[in-house]
Amino acid sequence: MFGSLKLKKPTKFLILLLTSILIGAVNAAIFYTLTMESQFLVSSPVIRFSSAPDEPSGSTVNDAWCMLNATSYPNATLTYEQALYIENTDGSNAHSFRLRHLDVSPVNGTATVGNWSSIKFMVYNSTDFVCSLNYTVSGTDWILEPSSGETNYYSVPASTSWWIRLETLSPATATTGNTCYITIAVDVQQ
Amino acid sequence: MLLPELFALLASDLFLLLSLLTCLLEERFPKAIPYVYQAAAVMGFGHLMVSKMFLTVFDAEMRFWYNLFYLMVGLANIIAVNIYFAVSQKTWFLARVWSLAVTFPTLLISTFFIYNYGYLQAATGPISTLQIILMISFAVLGVSVFVLFSQKILEKLGWR
Repeated sequence: MFGSLKLKKPTKFLILLLTSILIGAVNAAIFYTLTMESQFLVSSPVIRFSSAPDEPSGSTVNDAWCMLNATSYPNATLTYEQALYIENTDGSNAHSFRLRHLDVSPVNGTATVGNWSSIKFMVYNSTDFVCSLNYTVSGTDWILEPSSGETNYYSVPASTSWWIRLETLSPATATTGNTCYITIAVDVQQ
Repeated sequence: MLLPELFALLASDLFLLLSLLTCLLEERFPKAIPYVYQAAAVMGFGHLMVSKMFLTVFDAEMRFWYNLFYLMVGLANIIAVNIYFAVSQKTWFLARVWSLAVTFPTLLISTFFIYNYGYLQAATGPISTLQIILMISFAVLGVSVFVLFSQKILEKLGWR
């Protein structure tokens, strides 16, 4: 029965045409969903934070954000030599980043601001100082350096880690138990 | 932004084209060939599904290479059919028509997309080679379309 079944050429062509249209349409639909998925893909940051040897105790370090639980002492500069790594995870390309001030608390004009003299975030590569974002206090006001609150963009080579050195200093008149919160963004250029 | 999966989509369409053309020329091919090419086109569907499911696992370079490989297989089949007409079937006219109507246009389109992908990805590699292939394909296509539709030139060449 099946041995004698022979499709005529037009019929065969029509069947192949219909299946071709079906396959082509399905493939196009999947490709379209792929393009939509690609536009909204949340991926790991190419430049990320990672824990460093001198990370303050009680800190939380994630790829895209971190919380450094640092201490400052009256009349003494406390240095966390390598408080945090900034790591370029791309094995092939350099990427640029900058530090940008977002928020500081207590805000300017608050009396408790006077419990700090300076808090400095300094970026180092393997050999040299690169840039810094510093918070110094004048009276009860925070003064940012750079005044714009953001550093320039600096290029981190592929598969390279730089580190942040954190320095804190409180005046001799500082009272214990006060806490300040500084929020800094790390902007990355892809 | 071009996705690497565009090459799989393109290759799948090339296999579908081969399936239909070999069906039209079924006297010159084994009976199963059109269905084999349809199955190859369905493999393109599998390619795209794998890409969709493992989008976050595979990096762009890996996706580019396995999709490009699939496209190369498709192009190799088109060239193989062309050579088959020319060598084993001795149908020179059909081989010429195939090369002008199928082989070079598909090479041109494929090279165009590969070149664009490489350019957009700022790839380092044989981009200049691709540009040369693109130019050659375009020139041959242009000349051959002109020759194909020019009665006088065909008569002078003795092809008619």
